[in-house]
Amino acid sequence: MGDDLVAQVCAAAVAVVHVDGAAVSMMVSPTVRDALHATDRVSGELEEWQLAFGEGPCVDAFAGGGPVLVADLSSDGCSARWPAFTPAALGSGARAVFTLPLQVGAIRLGVLDLYRTRPGRLIPQELADALGFADTAALVLVDGAAGTDRATAGLGWQRDDPATHQAEVHQATGMVLAQLGTSAESAFARLRAHAYARDRQLCEVAHEVVDRRLRFEPDPPPDDHDQE
Amino acid sequence: MSERQLAETFVELADTLVDEFDVVDFLHQVTVRCAEVLGVSAAGVLLTDQRGGLRVVAASTERTRLLGLLQQQTGQGPCTECLHTGRPVAVADVAAAADRWPRFAAEACQFGIASVHALPMRLRTEIIGTLNLFGTEPGLLDEDTIWLAQALADVATIGLLQARSIRDRESIAEQLQTALNSRVVIEQAKGVIAERRRLDMDEAFALLRGAARSGNRRLSELARAVVDGTETI
Repeated sequence: MGDDLVAQVCAAAVAVVHVDGAAVSMMVSPTVRDALHATDRVSGELEEWQLAFGEGPCVDAFAGGGPVLVADLSSDGCSARWPAFTPAALGSGARAVFTLPLQVGAIRLGVLDLYRTRPGRLIPQELADALGFADTAALVLVDGAAGTDRATAGLGWQRDDPATHQAEVHQATGMVLAQLGTSAESAFARLRAHAYARDRQLCEVAHEVVDRRLRFEPDPPPDDHDQE
Repeated sequence: MSERQLAETFVELADTLVDEFDVVDFLHQVTVRCAEVLGVSAAGVLLTDQRGGLRVVAASTERTRLLGLLQQQTGQGPCTECLHTGRPVAVADVAAAADRWPRFAAEACQFGIASVHALPMRLRTEIIGTLNLFGTEPGLLDEDTIWLAQALADVATIGLLQARSIRDRESIAEQLQTALNSRVVIEQAKGVIAERRRLDMDEAFALLRGAARSGNRRLSELARAVVDGTETI
């Protein structure tokens, strides 16, 4: 499932974004979640509180489709917004929390939760890095769920920066979804696996799909390893 | 363009802002009105991805090559320069700008674009994106038209940031990222519709937008439902 990759992303986020802890949870709905990794006790507790109370930054980030950046949990707005989560999080030792949704358009995978023991906002470079780690974690989860093997996935994100994805990659995802009768997540994973198995760039493969020069056929059983 | 038509354009855009509205749909409407009111052949809105790049969120036509030309400016091009300097960039003759932006100039010329304007979308001290205007004839827009274009860019900014009450930099970041992801959802939905209905991407977008309008739905909500498979168009 690429859990060790998730752990690496969390560790890197802590070092680069200058936060005290990071955690990744997979989510299938705003309140159904599975904590995959937490770098420390506080991060683990923040995940637990949000799961227990069904409220918190990650619930809002997942539902709203954008980051939730809280520079100071002890400010007035927070206890009104999350009456149960806020005091619990403060009690655990967190003062600032930054939650980034792990998503690619309609594909919603989970969240990356970062926290600091002191209040303060992310400076622009830290936000840029945090967004980058969220994109990386999202791809790890997409490939992990599809069973794309670790070496391939690892190579994958070195040359596949979602920030530079052309519109065609997303259009192709929609087309493959319709061709295979599958979910957007599976369609995206199939596109990626196809590109990496042939040592090609994702945007080239996407272009062929949009140009209707490449079609994907459903293969039984669905979600099998893509070895075509 | 008569004063009456201008007034109607601003009233129409302001009217959109009153209701619960869809950011991407609103920005699309701004770009369509820009093309009409400013007499340019195409217009687009690019937003900062807060990672040093720009991403297309709306364009007056959804032709794939126009979207590609807009997007290609990430890294180099009039919009990137506008984003970094915070000042309008005007290019009277794209072919003559090949030294500055070789890839962009080549692609623009191939697409029949001769002149380009980029105007900053500014919120206080921060530049959150740019309004891009393309003309098929060389030359610059006159001062009054530029002024009007900047007013439309300001309306686009207000629309984008009004979706949530913007208290601080955190809220801007949240709103920008939400808008960028909505755009991705729409691209995915275009793909689904294009494949099922055997349509081009711009036809698929027109069908999606028409269905949202006639059903009184938010564009990105309907797009998400199409991708999730809970609704079919």
